[in-house]
Amino acid sequence: MDFYLNALGSVLSAAPLLAMVGATLLGVFIGALPGLNPVMAIALLLPLTYSMDPLVALGMVAGIYNGSMYGGAIPAILLRIPGTPASIATTFDGFPMADKGEAAKALKIACWSSAVGGIASALALMTMGPLLARVTLFFGPAEYFWIAIFGMASVGVMVGSDPVKGVMAAVLGLLIGTIGIDNLSGQARFTFDQTWLLGGLDLIVVLVGLYALPPVLQLAEKCDLKGLSADQLKLTNVPFAPGEKRGLIPTWLRSSGIGIGVGILPGAGGNIAAFLSYNAARNASDDPDSFGRGNPQGVAAAECGNNADNAASMIPALSLGIPGNVVAALVLSALTIHGLQPGPQLFHQNPVLVGGFMMEMLITSILIFALGGAVATRVFAQFQRLPGVLLVPSILILMCVGVYVINGRPVDLWVMLAAGIAGYFLEKVNVPLAPIILGMILGPMAEQSVRRALLISRGDATELLTRPISALLAVMTILVIVWPVAKAMRRRKRQRQS
Amino acid sequence: MTFRTTFIGLTMAAAIASPALAEYPERTIELTIPAGAGGGTDTSARKLAILLEEMLGTSIAILNVGGGGGSVGASQFMQAKPDGYSLFATWNSPLTTVPQVQNVAYSLDSFTPIASTSETAYTLCVKADFPATTGEEFLAELEANPGKYTYGNDGIGGTMQLAAERIFQARGIDAVAIPFGGAGETLQNFLGGHVDIYGGSISTVLPYVENGEAKCPLVTSAADVPALPGAAGLESLGLGDKETLLWRAILGPKGLDPEIVTMLADTIEKAVNEPSYVEFLKTKGEVPNVVKGDALGERLQSEYDGLAEVSKALGL
Repeated sequence: MDFYLNALGSVLSAAPLLAMVGATLLGVFIGALPGLNPVMAIALLLPLTYSMDPLVALGMVAGIYNGSMYGGAIPAILLRIPGTPASIATTFDGFPMADKGEAAKALKIACWSSAVGGIASALALMTMGPLLARVTLFFGPAEYFWIAIFGMASVGVMVGSDPVKGVMAAVLGLLIGTIGIDNLSGQARFTFDQTWLLGGLDLIVVLVGLYALPPVLQLAEKCDLKGLSADQLKLTNVPFAPGEKRGLIPTWLRSSGIGIGVGILPGAGGNIAAFLSYNAARNASDDPDSFGRGNPQGVAAAECGNNADNAASMIPALSLGIPGNVVAALVLSALTIHGLQPGPQLFHQNPVLVGGFMMEMLITSILIFALGGAVATRVFAQFQRLPGVLLVPSILILMCVGVYVINGRPVDLWVMLAAGIAGYFLEKVNVPLAPIILGMILGPMAEQSVRRALLISRGDATELLTRPISALLAVMTILVIVWPVAKAMRRRKRQRQS
Repeated sequence: MTFRTTFIGLTMAAAIASPALAEYPERTIELTIPAGAGGGTDTSARKLAILLEEMLGTSIAILNVGGGGGSVGASQFMQAKPDGYSLFATWNSPLTTVPQVQNVAYSLDSFTPIASTSETAYTLCVKADFPATTGEEFLAELEANPGKYTYGNDGIGGTMQLAAERIFQARGIDAVAIPFGGAGETLQNFLGGHVDIYGGSISTVLPYVENGEAKCPLVTSAADVPALPGAAGLESLGLGDKETLLWRAILGPKGLDPEIVTMLADTIEKAVNEPSYVEFLKTKGEVPNVVKGDALGERLQSEYDGLAEVSKALGL
């Protein structure tokens, strides 16, 4: 505990505090603008800080990372455009809420849930880091395979009214995920001799096109020339109804747990955490059919889950030297630049710096309470008042800039456009888009893991089931499929009796 | 009036700037890195870029283009203008290893070698309870148990795998290669006991050698490596000619002005040997190694030819 007090002293000086406040605000903006994403922002900013005080630099990382995970919810709720891949699940109930005129409430719930998730995750990092890090080592290729399958089983929630179309969308996502060089054989698949396809299709590029373009086109179709006056857009601070906060507590606890669990696994990210949290909230609910129609629990689950992933994803990086995602890799590289060696000794090498960074993850999560709500309602929600003729081109420009900056190549813009047009028509024929993205994320993970597992077992498939954790995950997968069915049958039976 | 002076000023500036060389560099240099942000090549290049910015008196913008084991970035960079404002900071694998397994659009001729910067060996490590400790015992154990052990490496047909297979082929060893996404992932699976042998960079596994959890019987360089006193260099195992290293270099597009190449190579040499950079390399288990211009071209060619032989034998 002493080192946290020591670290706290260094963190609570002017420069790191200023960095955290500024970066959290910046993070909310980055998350809220479709196309811009925290990984890119941190990759661009962090190297500029190599000559600065490392606690200032890491404070900026913490702020951008936590702020943007929340920021992604703002356009997800207001415009049905997820600001980051992790806020797709937020659109499911966030946008219907906004449609019902509850935008302010949805934003408030997103803000609170993000902060709660972030705080829970930071506390896990500070108290159980090394312990949880050892847990990640039990997860080998066989276990990763089951995690991916478990995630895919939750597609059931997202298929919408027509399951066949939902499954078709998921298969499309799986196919897109196979494009590029296969990591296990070195063979190029579906690249048609195009070098730019060797790396596969970038998730963010496809996401921005698929998700941001259709709502933008719909806005354009309305051809709104006037916009809303200040009176028409009522975003006054809605207080929580009595008992409402207490109603969210079980969801927060569940989603924080899921977010932390996914976060400690290198390679599994906030998008998976948000999907799983959403699915779990729906399964736990007495009225699962209200999900997707503006249930506040859905927003709370998704936003709490994706923020709870953040600090936890630093656990394997800081305790073992294994970066689980790009942000963690960037943090490790910044520590290396400052002469630290990642690994189990990291904490002892410089407790003030490492402990300080953990404190900063906590403080920036708390800052979301203070800054997040105000930014969302005072600044971003006002954009809704812009007439469509201004809003549409502004969003389009932001999308193009964001997508171009990812790899600095024009061809990505065409990919975005193609994905957008596809998304527009798929929505017209009622094909849900979320399973496409989920397939793109989980497909490669499932495929590579199962092939690695079979290489290790020399082709013996029973080893996928005989290891304790993989067996447990397999059972959970079956449960997650059977549970909603059993519940629906029980309800029908009860209805028939009454 | 003001307009005219400005105009004349601008034309004069343009007139002075066009012969360029004397003024080089006068604007931002774009440095392409064929790997994602945060990796080994990225960190080394960014740290070096800070020093180069100061010495060249210009800013350097970094562009990470990951994917395809570096081939995506290399293919994209190959189309850059050879004006000295587009440079490429890479490790050897995208140039000498990846073309052996992938059908890439570039060849060694697509680039102008400027200077190499640093190098390090790969290592093979096992858990502390493995029944072999020295390099010789380790190879004997693998030889005696064909197909029994799995080793993690950072990608099929990657330099690490070829480095290991060169040694294994020479000794008739059959070990099962398990490709992962990078040294971090290999380490995760090694520490968790999912693979028997760690194959990858030294710096990643070093903390676990220091705390006694792992031991490294050999390195893929001919000489021993000071950071790993227990590991045998290939020379001492009689396999000195099977050396494979990981090294980093800066290149330009094809047809870069030789004067710019010399100027950049000298600046890079100075930057790499700065005490702060040498110290930084040390924490990563790397040492400075500067080979400039045509000599670098020859080094690339001979490595390419050597690896072509191995990969042919592997049937990749």
